[in-house]
Amino acid sequence: MAILEASEIVKRFGPVTALSGAGLQVEPTTIHGLIGPNGSGKSTLLHVIAGRTLPDGGRVVLDGADITRAKPAQRARAGMSIKFQLARVYHEQTVADNLLLALQVRDGIPSLVLSRTRRRHQERVRRLLDDFGLTHVRDHPAGELAHGEQQWLEIAMAMATEPKLLLLDEPTGGMNRHERERTGELIRAAATTCAVVIVEHDLDFIRDLCDRITVLHQGTLVASGTPVEIERDERVAEVYLTRV
Amino acid sequence: MQRVLTPAWWLGDGGRRVGAIALVAGIVIAGPLLDGAGESFWMMALTRALILGVLAVATNVAWGVTGIFTLGQAVFFGVGAYVVGLLATREDVVALESLAGAALGAGLLCGLVVGAFLFFGRRRVGMLYVGLVTLALSYALERLASVWGEIGAGNGITGIPLPTLLGTEIEPGISFFWVAVVTLLVVLGLAWAVMRSQFGMVMRAIRDDDERAEFLGYRRPIVQLVVFAATGGVGALAGGLYALEEGFVSPTFLGVSLSTQVLIYVLLGGRDSLVGPLVGVLLLEVGGQRVQEELPTEWPIIVGAVLLLVILFLPNGLTQLGRRRRRAAAPRPETAAEVSGGDPRGE
Repeated sequence: MAILEASEIVKRFGPVTALSGAGLQVEPTTIHGLIGPNGSGKSTLLHVIAGRTLPDGGRVVLDGADITRAKPAQRARAGMSIKFQLARVYHEQTVADNLLLALQVRDGIPSLVLSRTRRRHQERVRRLLDDFGLTHVRDHPAGELAHGEQQWLEIAMAMATEPKLLLLDEPTGGMNRHERERTGELIRAAATTCAVVIVEHDLDFIRDLCDRITVLHQGTLVASGTPVEIERDERVAEVYLTRV
Repeated sequence: MQRVLTPAWWLGDGGRRVGAIALVAGIVIAGPLLDGAGESFWMMALTRALILGVLAVATNVAWGVTGIFTLGQAVFFGVGAYVVGLLATREDVVALESLAGAALGAGLLCGLVVGAFLFFGRRRVGMLYVGLVTLALSYALERLASVWGEIGAGNGITGIPLPTLLGTEIEPGISFFWVAVVTLLVVLGLAWAVMRSQFGMVMRAIRDDDERAEFLGYRRPIVQLVVFAATGGVGALAGGLYALEEGFVSPTFLGVSLSTQVLIYVLLGGRDSLVGPLVGVLLLEVGGQRVQEELPTEWPIIVGAVLLLVILFLPNGLTQLGRRRRRAAAPRPETAAEVSGGDPRGE
């Protein structure tokens, strides 16, 4: 059974129809790329799935539960996690505390007020810091990290909640080649435990990384398939050749 | 020991900690000294400032730490004052324990009701929205209290009797000073514990990026409601104590002027600082007492000018001076790539 099913999604902004019947189906522990020319609606679709934007039509189902109208916090608690296009980490708080923030999200307010769970989460914080190569900056304010490290920290925060579905909005934006490669490794590692949806402009990165790719154009679904199928699809070639 | 001798330590957390302890110790010592010298005027001014300090600390937790920009903190203060005034004059309740509990409960309830309206049912709650609603509430309640005959209309409630504590009457002067000091210390202790706790991290996370916090899974409205109600309760407790200390309640206790005044205390002393708001209160209410008397017309202009200078040159307030310098001087961490010679994991 698919972990995510977004079907017949319609989203209008005033007179502009950003999505007209677009959809996405993601299998567990796969990496699914969402691509399309500028204005194709891929970011809007990701935001509809994440709950940042409510759709005017269609359904979003996560692991069998209809979350179409659910609030972001409800989606997060249902197993969905997101990394935004621009890294949104807590600049004033340390790297370790950013991870602790993500880990303690299901703890009750009394436990948090009494700081009862801080020690319990430390081992997991240590492991995440190690996995994402951030141990050497664990006690630094996150705002002092380099761009790539902030992106990795945000992915680490998203993974800390042990999601069923990880949404990544342009995870390699502004990264150099080495950082892109490292990000690819981190995403592959993440996909061993959850499904991943990536919106990305870097088509080489998407082709190398993804198990399946969905292509959007002008708010509609053009094609969906394996990277090889997508590369051979004439409609996709046409979209990318005739894009405005 | 060597760390203590470095300028960085004094400009950083260490210096601020020493400053905070010195401030509290200074307040505790000042009361008996003023009492011994027969300075009842200054004793009362200090006591009033300490009670307003309780309100300022609560406002700082709501606004400075959690980002709830309330322009109506006086509403809680006034509600607490009116509850205490009515209970003491109409129901002859004089036990401080009961009056304080009633004020605290009324503030909590009021915070829950107003907070539920503010934070639930909207996808995004902007600072401007919260500020405008609380401002309007503060204004409306002050106007309502000014015309509502049952609660004294424009005259408010006068002739509030002195309270008792464990059966003993609390005299004006040093006895009330100690009540104010103990209340302030308890509130400061609670604020310190919460600000350092895991919940304090969540409060700051919601202040700095509430959408990010929601996408992590935090239920923003619940966190904001808890903070708003709790700080409302503390604000009402301050109002109740103020009414007992002054012996009267006025509609201005609910009003916009006091709400603004509290924000000025917090801004001046420093947001997200434990004792910053207290510094602001003491500077304006005790330090500026004589100036206020000598130059009553110019006083608001002086306060405005000082506030402007603080916002322009010390946006984090007077007590954040050390933190700002320390952060500016702190070395940037090496990037992961630099540490590992190319591999961010250092492998």
